Amino acid sequence: MSTRTDRGVADYLERLDDCLGTLPGATRRQLLEEIAEHIVEARQALDPEDEVGLLAILDALGDPEAIAEEALGAAPITAAPRSDVVVPWLVLLGGFVFGVGWLVGIILLWSSATWRLRDKLLATLVVPGGLLLPVLLLGMGGAASACTGSGGPGLPTVTHCSTHGFVLPLPLGIAALLVTVLGPILVAVHLDRVRRRA
Amino acid sequence: MVAGEDRDPVAQLRRGVAEPCVLALLRAGERYGFDLARELAGVGGLVAGEGTVYPLLARLRRRQLVETTWKESAQGPPRRYYRLTAKGKAELDAFVEQWRQFRFTVDAVLEGDR
Repeated sequence: MSTRTDRGVADYLERLDDCLGTLPGATRRQLLEEIAEHIVEARQALDPEDEVGLLAILDALGDPEAIAEEALGAAPITAAPRSDVVVPWLVLLGGFVFGVGWLVGIILLWSSATWRLRDKLLATLVVPGGLLLPVLLLGMGGAASACTGSGGPGLPTVTHCSTHGFVLPLPLGIAALLVTVLGPILVAVHLDRVRRRA
Repeated sequence: MVAGEDRDPVAQLRRGVAEPCVLALLRAGERYGFDLARELAGVGGLVAGEGTVYPLLARLRRRQLVETTWKESAQGPPRRYYRLTAKGKAELDAFVEQWRQFRFTVDAVLEGDR
């Protein structure tokens, strides 16, 4: 990207990319690719430094806004899969459905064009199993505190429970629990928001 | 969306016929995208610019009415060629038939009171 004309092409493609907003990743990439190919093809008849010629090419292509409008206006016709609606729920709570509900959610997520790669990675990694994981964690914590509770008969049972419930520092345990609870909820909300915008 | 354009009947009409027109351009055989974009924009009034042909082609491809293949070109990088699928051919034939009817009806109504 050294010459003025090359920069002109890059600017045009960047403006188009900015206009494409919520267009799903694969569709967006292909459109940008094809417009770039079109410009390369059209420029073959020109001197590489011919700025006026390049302006004519970009003018014939039309405003990036008009191209984006055609692409985004067409988006509903791509008909997002109906299963998209349940994906955020399955990713969040699917773990409780025989453990496979989460897996089903993840498969539906990856097979839908509604979400981009980064959404899919995020939902898969934060947190595998969704809310099942913190519930399992809580179960283990509860079991541990129950043990210490039985060791202290009389009034101060409650205080013994809370201090000995977690072997590792209590704040750390609470933080882990918070992250594993809030993480999947925030991710599910994010997935749902992306779905509604698409 | 440009406000007001939705109410422009010609814009609406154009939007509806642009896709079948692309299919029609492919009836004689495969073409590459650049060529299609130039021709469609060249006839005037059908698409806003050469660039809007590409989202349109993408839509036709998703609906499996056209398919693409890569071909080496004598000069420059390989080109993406578009061709009609059997489904696309059927859709085009159906549209041509409906369009004949439609055109006849609209003409009859528009010119009826002359």
